Amino acid sequence: MKFNYIISILIFIPVLIIQTTVVPLISIGEVVPDLILILLVYYSITEGQIYGTVLGFIYGLFFDLVTGSLLGSSMIAKTVAGFVAGYFSSENKVDIYLMFFNFGLIVFLAALVDQIIYSFFSSFDISSNILMIFFQNAFLPAFYTALLSMIIIIFVPKRRNL
Amino acid sequence: MIRFLNSVWYNFKEYIILTVLVILSLFIISQNHSPAVQRVRAIAFGTFATVTSVVSDVVNIKSLKKENEQLRETNAKLMLQLSKLREAAIINEELKGLVALKDTSGYPLIPASVVSKSLSRVQGTITLNVGNIDSVKVGMPVITDKGLVGIIYSVSGNYSIARTLQNVDLKITVKDERTRENGLMKWNGENLVIVNVPKTFQIKKGDRIITSELSSLVPFPVPVGVAAGSNNIETGIFNEIKVIPFVDFAKVENVFVIKTVASKEIDSLELNFLKKYQ
Repeated sequence: MKFNYIISILIFIPVLIIQTTVVPLISIGEVVPDLILILLVYYSITEGQIYGTVLGFIYGLFFDLVTGSLLGSSMIAKTVAGFVAGYFSSENKVDIYLMFFNFGLIVFLAALVDQIIYSFFSSFDISSNILMIFFQNAFLPAFYTALLSMIIIIFVPKRRNL
Repeated sequence: MIRFLNSVWYNFKEYIILTVLVILSLFIISQNHSPAVQRVRAIAFGTFATVTSVVSDVVNIKSLKKENEQLRETNAKLMLQLSKLREAAIINEELKGLVALKDTSGYPLIPASVVSKSLSRVQGTITLNVGNIDSVKVGMPVITDKGLVGIIYSVSGNYSIARTLQNVDLKITVKDERTRENGLMKWNGENLVIVNVPKTFQIKKGDRIITSELSSLVPFPVPVGVAAGSNNIETGIFNEIKVIPFVDFAKVENVFVIKTVASKEIDSLELNFLKKYQ
């Protein structure tokens, strides 16, 4: 278990570098996909809900530390996102959940939760239109992240049978 | 009792862990501005930026040729402007002497490259490859040839993080270059807006918006953007003016840090929004 955490954190480092250097180049408007969340959802599905929750906390901590965003905002958002994604971690259905379309839907759900909480804790302006905020800050990034996740999951090798 | 606790743990461990981690996150959010947290952050992003600066260089090599061409063109245009400005500067100096005005220009610039970006819709930040060693300090403005990019928020030895104008925590006093009317500009998560503008103000679509000398963050005029009309608020006596920034924050790669920090005397008198969030 501990070894698994180390592996997932080691994989996280290059993903974080890509997220902060390459991903801004593929942003559409200000909509940026979240590679870290895709990785988190993958681990939540394959390793379980507790693993996903704790990993979300760790990923969020590192992300907040290196990007200068409000420390704790990504932590709480990714912790809950990992928890939500962890509901899809049933061992005998892992391969089904990791299928192209299903994985995209799970990522979309987790990204939606992640973005809503992150926006809330990033001192959001209440005077703005709530529906518009939801659409631009949560729905669009979640949708873009889900689309990207469906492309990425094609190249991820199928999980070995337990 | 132990059996009961065991049973609770066994049945609800996922929820217990989630609750503990959420409470821990909330605690960390409340500790955001403590010096210890700032120090840890400076070390963390300093270390991380060392790696991303290498990757960033590799990624940006492709765009260098295009950027070079643009810079040559800008250089030629600037050369033409410079000769005009030199003439104007001489006249300006004479006039300043006549009215005994202090010179507010001539701040040294620190060239920097963007090594990483966090382009969240609400908390846009960029990491620069200059830090304490290059005399960068918290509060210094970051600009490009087009205009204001943001304000330095956190500094480590070799790197610094700047909040871009697309960050809800950054508020700057700006003015309309034509009408000289001042207002407070902020990012509302959607647009850059000047808030609480009295409806009697004459700010029009297309007016250039620059930083105001009233600002304790950027106390001299730096271009910010153009006014793009008002979000007419039905009730009340105030309007919101939408501003389109000159700088494209997603594409910005090379910037300058202006080596100045607003006067401490002014800071103590004015409400400095940056200080509030540190």
